Amino acid sequence: MSGRTVAIVGGVTTKFGVRPATWAELVQEVGVALSRAVPSLRSEDVDSLFVGAAEPERFAFQSHVAPLAAEQLGLKPHRILQRNELACASGQSAIRSAYAAIASGLSDVAVVVGVEKMNLPSMAEANSAMGCVMDRPWDGPAGATAPPFFAMVAQRHMLEFGTTPEQLAIISEKNHRFANTNPNAQFHEKTFSRDKLLRLPLIAPPLRLGDCSSMTDGAAAVVLAAEDRVRTYSDTLAWVRGSGQYSDFHNLANAGSLTEWTGLTRAAREALGRAGIGVGDLDFAELHDCFTISEIVEYEALGLCPRGEGGRFAADGRGDLGGDIVINPRGGLLGCGHPLGATGVAQAVEVYQQFSSTVPAARQVPDPKWALVHNLSGSANVHSVMVYERGGAA
Amino acid sequence: MSPERPRRRPTPSPALEVPAPEPVNETRPAEGQSPAASRKSIEKRPFLLDFFPLETADQTRLHRFYERLREGRVATTRCRRDGSLHWPPRTACPTCRSEELDWVDLPEHGHVYAFSAVLAGAPLGMESEVPFAVGLVDLDGVPLRLFGRIEGRPWTELRIGEPVRFETYDIGDGRMFYRFRTVEGSTSAHGPHGSGP
Repeated sequence: MSGRTVAIVGGVTTKFGVRPATWAELVQEVGVALSRAVPSLRSEDVDSLFVGAAEPERFAFQSHVAPLAAEQLGLKPHRILQRNELACASGQSAIRSAYAAIASGLSDVAVVVGVEKMNLPSMAEANSAMGCVMDRPWDGPAGATAPPFFAMVAQRHMLEFGTTPEQLAIISEKNHRFANTNPNAQFHEKTFSRDKLLRLPLIAPPLRLGDCSSMTDGAAAVVLAAEDRVRTYSDTLAWVRGSGQYSDFHNLANAGSLTEWTGLTRAAREALGRAGIGVGDLDFAELHDCFTISEIVEYEALGLCPRGEGGRFAADGRGDLGGDIVINPRGGLLGCGHPLGATGVAQAVEVYQQFSSTVPAARQVPDPKWALVHNLSGSANVHSVMVYERGGAA
Repeated sequence: MSPERPRRRPTPSPALEVPAPEPVNETRPAEGQSPAASRKSIEKRPFLLDFFPLETADQTRLHRFYERLREGRVATTRCRRDGSLHWPPRTACPTCRSEELDWVDLPEHGHVYAFSAVLAGAPLGMESEVPFAVGLVDLDGVPLRLFGRIEGRPWTELRIGEPVRFETYDIGDGRMFYRFRTVEGSTSAHGPHGSGP
């Protein structure tokens, strides 16, 4: 790859959940945590700030959020200051922009913050915010939000391949079990057995409450630096080795097959190709499990198993510790919650923390060298993928 | 920006032949006029909290779509140059960038490709409609699969392959929209049978 090499040199998240805090307070909170996690990072070192924020206009009635975030963090960016919006993938979008800026030489040290405040007094207002991610004047009036769309994916997957509600529950059970190792997860210290999950109320049939990620408040942050600056901040590095994105529709009418996410296949091929590795080289992956069915389709689109066999892949434990590849060790969106702009950044934080062996042993991937992160947005119409390699002393 | 290959090539359909073509772009709304006509609709619902669009000629070049809904017709645009059929309706062809588009009426009937129901988590203004069914419908004879609300039989009785037809309706403030309705008297589904969700 041309350009300078870039690495993540540190990362943190706030507690995810229903937080008694505003959008700006969550940014301050993650800024404090970041300064403790990367003590050698001086404010004046940070030349650029990228803010992943999906819908502050809706959830916080706040626009122009990049300078607001800079002020909360006590930063005065002098190279690039921008907000990235790509709905549920706003976080990875911000990381990709920081990576591109540093690789090009425009930036040397950049902070990426992802943040969302989603829990409002009116759940219906929050649901409206989720609805306007869709093609608002056409799909919106029908009541399109994420749950009914992904429910149709699940329905077709069940029809075409015989995938079962039990297999969906296995995904949720796994990710909630991992979330129990993650004190910052929304559902930390909550147990979800398969039987319990199958008795939770239907939200959008066939999806039940436990098949859906939740409305979550939270923030996450990472620091990226150029190859000649990384050692100032950390001994452990997560080198950005590959990046890929693909988008091929927006209106639901143009989705094509609901069960074959070729956009993810293409984005992953691009990212893995740039890294010079294959999917079999990965030690773990953060996959966008906004719904249980998503993770199943993602197994297939990534080539971890043949098309249609994602449910069986889950049932056989091949995406779990001790399996072929560990999927979503931090607890995923299902276990951690899904603060839209923060999710993509939190996924990268897990990569850094896994590489630096700072996660609890119960979810530590043994000697991880390669990781893939997938952040999707909307109705799975955009797929964003990054590939990281561990570097440094750890 | 080079034109991409169209996702789906249109298949000529008798249902789409129009005796008197109505161009989309030949007569455009006047620029710079006060948006008076659209103000009526926001008296009932603030636009920024309402999923239904502003439909009048002072706001959209696709106002004929909504005027046709009042005539009971659901239409879309077709490119005069490359023949591609669009959804949603457009003012420029995405495959050849032509602005020479015509309105064509869509077939009235279709079959459910996939469906679900909103049992919780409805957006503002739709809470009282819960539970409601939504789905993707393959329109008969044209390569279009449209998303919409499915009225008629409850979601628990729907099946993949269910025959449905378009219905247009006044949303209550003078604006029009479209939805699907199950076909009366039809108890068995056409096409591939699937289990309920």
